Amino acid sequence: MLKRIFSILFVFSLMMVMPLQAAEFPTKEVQIIIPWAAGGATDLIFRALGATTGKYLGKAVVVVNKPGGAGTVGYTEAMKAQPDGYTLTSGITPLTILPHNVKTAFTYKDFEPVINVVSDPGMFLVRSDSPWKSLKEFLDYAKKNPDIITVGNSGAGGGVHLIALAFEKAAGVKFNHIPFAGGGPSVTALLGGHVNAVSVSPPEGIEHVKAGKLKIIALFSEKRFEMFPEVPTVKEQGVDFAMGQWRGLIAPKGTPPDVIKKLHDAFKKGMDDPVFQKNAKDMAVNLHYLGPEAFGKLMASDHELFGKLIKEMKK
Amino acid sequence: MFESLQHLMTGFGIATTIHNLLYCLTGAIVGTLIGVLPGIGPIAGIALLIPATFGLNPTSAIIMLAGIYYGAMYGGSTTSILLNVPGETASVITCIDGYQMAQKGRAGPALATCAIGSFIAGTIGIFGLVFIAPPLAEAALAFGPPEYFSLMVFGFIVLSNVTGISLIKSLMMAVVGLIIGTIGLDPVTGDARFTFGSIYLLGGIEFVAVAIGLFGIGEVLINVEKPADLLEQRVLIPRLRELYPTLRDLKRSIGPILRGAGIGFGVGLVPGPAPVIATYSSYMIERKISKNPEEFGKGAIEGVAGPESANNSACQSAFIPLFVLGIPFAPPTAILLGALLIHGVSPGPLMISQHPELFWGVIASMYIGNFILLILNLPFVPLFANILRTPKKILLPLIILFCITGMFTVNNSVFDIWMMLLFGGVGFLMRKWAYEGAPLLLALVLGPKLEVAFRQSLMISHGDFGVFVNRPISMAFLLATAIFLIFPAIRLMFKKSKKGGI
Repeated sequence: MLKRIFSILFVFSLMMVMPLQAAEFPTKEVQIIIPWAAGGATDLIFRALGATTGKYLGKAVVVVNKPGGAGTVGYTEAMKAQPDGYTLTSGITPLTILPHNVKTAFTYKDFEPVINVVSDPGMFLVRSDSPWKSLKEFLDYAKKNPDIITVGNSGAGGGVHLIALAFEKAAGVKFNHIPFAGGGPSVTALLGGHVNAVSVSPPEGIEHVKAGKLKIIALFSEKRFEMFPEVPTVKEQGVDFAMGQWRGLIAPKGTPPDVIKKLHDAFKKGMDDPVFQKNAKDMAVNLHYLGPEAFGKLMASDHELFGKLIKEMKK
Repeated sequence: MFESLQHLMTGFGIATTIHNLLYCLTGAIVGTLIGVLPGIGPIAGIALLIPATFGLNPTSAIIMLAGIYYGAMYGGSTTSILLNVPGETASVITCIDGYQMAQKGRAGPALATCAIGSFIAGTIGIFGLVFIAPPLAEAALAFGPPEYFSLMVFGFIVLSNVTGISLIKSLMMAVVGLIIGTIGLDPVTGDARFTFGSIYLLGGIEFVAVAIGLFGIGEVLINVEKPADLLEQRVLIPRLRELYPTLRDLKRSIGPILRGAGIGFGVGLVPGPAPVIATYSSYMIERKISKNPEEFGKGAIEGVAGPESANNSACQSAFIPLFVLGIPFAPPTAILLGALLIHGVSPGPLMISQHPELFWGVIASMYIGNFILLILNLPFVPLFANILRTPKKILLPLIILFCITGMFTVNNSVFDIWMMLLFGGVGFLMRKWAYEGAPLLLALVLGPKLEVAFRQSLMISHGDFGVFVNRPISMAFLLATAIFLIFPAIRLMFKKSKKGGI
């Protein structure tokens, strides 16, 4: 640790002496701004990815947490950063939700997509002893009793809340959505029987599914889970719906394309590194690579979809 | 029970290997440093060191990271006592009597009592963790939104007059705390409330900024107002033999320590702001049962021993829901959960059977860590106590500097520093007019949680208020609140009749 600090100080002191030349990118370490507090899923994933990407990039990758304002503080700062490729930001689903919910200075259009790393499918969990044995029974009950089934989520206007809203639209039902302060508390409330179901994305609640206390009643991915191959997706059961939360890297608007390409290539190699693959598997996150173009399209389509959902929710 | 002991023995075998002892020691030292520096709390400390554990095996990694957590809890009281700067929610209450003790030249006994109390409470907490943990964890699940709401109401009413000086002023401050707590995103609709278009206010007012402002900065400003010659006289320089608690101090502390440990352990099991409720309750109880309640607020050792023990034991029992349910009830345990996940260990119902070496190894190391912390902290007492020998004209600017840098490290935010200075000004005025900071901070922590629980309960019940009284646990808390409110009247009548009898 101390050695690392000294080496960073050494690099800094060199930078003071040498005139900055726009030679080969990168000439100094690359920073990733995480607009959330340290220790969350996004933070852990990018810390792990940064650790493996450093050697492919040739310079260290440093994670800086800028929490506050439900992510808006970090994104506003990231938007204003120099578009030189040395300041990246973790672009995750809320980036396309926040601008609809509160007045923000940014939208996804203020950033250049670099790479998408993770896509976690949304899912509904219920208790194993719940009266609904299948998705059909669950939805039938919901159709007959609109607004009765309580569905916990990790926070109002958050990713899993909107996934739940989108799902009820696709399935033609109505739930009673209960916001909690995070995924953990919502799962606790389900375990205690205080809500009927929760909307989560892995790894939340996975351990309880493994232990047989909770079960997945609705899975919103395109493919089945590797961990639970016996659980069918909702698509297989006739509800045309799939949605998840993504986590990728973005750069301020105006970052030169060749720099983006260099960053993308290095982070792609970092993603494929066996060490990171193992880290990701241990954390039960679903790696999902997308290049800059596909990632940009994903952000654009989600931005539009969330805009519509929030407008309806606020009516 | 016998089986638990056997497992614990295996755990000690794992924890006492040389390299695990070394990681435990490292964690304890780093944690103490983090706790002593205002601002950098256990959360930032653990997060910063997670990448450094990538190369370790999970058991050693968690032993070290857990060491940072409880080490920081040990160290957290130091700045509260010496400088009146609470670094986190848990050490707010310690400021009240701890700082007064230090002003009277008794910083040494206060610091030493904290260390001893923390050790005893930590030990009790760990035994609780070993023997009664799993069934208790399940009990915590009985707390749904209605129970939670009633618990918060109970805590709010009972604890808001924690210092017992003026009920009206305390309630006024509690209301101010509630108002400040509404700033930010609405927890149910996600709309911005009272943010005046500022993105920095969307996440609400940072608790640490209010706490350090009201207590630390406010105290510095009060000192600045005093004439220079008076200022230098105020702190009594501790003499060497006064650095450690006397036998009388220890006798007075042992009751509060044991009670505090019990309260802390129970409260730590329930989801919610455990450190706040545990420390406030312990202080409240000690003041109520003390033979000399008038000493509280002027440097009563019970007011330091009880809350500090409660805090430490709550911090140990917070590991129960984390390990048994895989659910973090407190932010530092949320970071530990992340660390466990990155090492491929998912805490939850299966963890104890799947990773026994980790579970029992970490538990045993916590016991060893507590002992290490005791012998690590006691020799530091004279060193820390001597900080107060620094002339005030040098010490006061340094405190401001520490507060500013410490504040910045919490969220890397300059806005938080301005908030802290603003609340420093507020704290100065409050102190001048004898308003107290503790009820305001309590309301700031409990208020938002109270609101969420209330709205969740009514959403689940479709607007039926019966949900609060139809459920036994919730009903019990509401009844207890009602009894507490009429109790003084009953006692008054009781006293009168007794007098009449004589």
